[in-house]
Amino acid sequence: MKKLFSILGFITAILALILAVTPLFNIAFIPAIAALAFGILALVISKEKQQYKKPIQLVFLMTIIALVLTTYKAVYTESEVGNTEKMEQKEEQLEEESIQELEGLEIDM
Amino acid sequence: MRLLLIPAFILCMLSSATSQNKTIAAGEKLTFAASYNMSGLLNELAQVTMETSEVKTSKSTLLKLKCTATTYSKWDSFFKIRDLYESYVNPKTLTPYLYNRDISEGGHDKFMKYTFNHRTNTVASIMKKTRSNGTIWEEKKSFKIGASTRDLVTTLYHIRNLDIHKASVGDRQNFTVLFDTEENVVSIKLLGKETINTAIGRKECYKLAISINNSNILKGSNDNILWLTADDNKIPVYAKFKIAVGSGELKIKSATGLKY
Repeated sequence: MKKLFSILGFITAILALILAVTPLFNIAFIPAIAALAFGILALVISKEKQQYKKPIQLVFLMTIIALVLTTYKAVYTESEVGNTEKMEQKEEQLEEESIQELEGLEIDM
Repeated sequence: MRLLLIPAFILCMLSSATSQNKTIAAGEKLTFAASYNMSGLLNELAQVTMETSEVKTSKSTLLKLKCTATTYSKWDSFFKIRDLYESYVNPKTLTPYLYNRDISEGGHDKFMKYTFNHRTNTVASIMKKTRSNGTIWEEKKSFKIGASTRDLVTTLYHIRNLDIHKASVGDRQNFTVLFDTEENVVSIKLLGKETINTAIGRKECYKLAISINNSNILKGSNDNILWLTADDNKIPVYAKFKIAVGSGELKIKSATGLKY
């Protein structure tokens, strides 16, 4: 049972860590909370049976790093539009071409 | 009874095709944030804008309706989107004359142009696609369309120009939209009124359900909902659409240059 929770804890903690470094960092909260839950369960079982706890500590460490990174990004990252210069140039060029084409069309006003 | 319904239907179609523009003015700019919602955790993906401006030719003054979608900088290195949709329309009737679609999504570029001829009910289209080796593939087509067929951008603005206050809950209206040189029937149903909190204040809104017939996108009856303010401007303030995992949202951030 301890082995199962440790493996699940590892998987969810790694997933949380991966998500935390991507722009989808908000979603990292879900696997991070799951990793914490699995870690606690594994810890409780290993305490009862006096087993080796190093892997569980690693799960907690990874989860804490993921949570700190996600929280920091959630607080300090502002959504800003990137470089749109190329699109603006394209738009100007399209407008010029469109006006030329509209000159040749029959428009009922 | 059936004989009476036919002229009523034709009259209705004609009125919708030549309805007067009472809502849209030049100089309007609406900014939205598109986000992905999973279990209540919102991830802002892109900025969407809807803008109108006046365009003058030697013979006439037209209204340019422009919609853009731009991913936020944090997404640019993963999946960069720079989409531009524009339509040149009659400012009085919102009848489209020219439509341009220039999209760049994750490195794939596509350009589409429709030139409408309302006398013959035909459209001349040009499609340009950039191949993976950098060469451009061009395709020209000419095809017939229905009298009330509009492009996507014009349809979005046309919905705002409808007399929704005269409709009753449950009323449905169909629109024919030209997309990728195919005519698609978009169905809009009034679900009722709802007051919601938005970035531009607390607004009483018309709640409309949108679905596209015979299409995999925007499927389902009440999964894709649009909230339009229940005032004279009828601006879209919130939209919700269902996707495979979670849902997508479009929330208004700012609205300037409104007519009323």
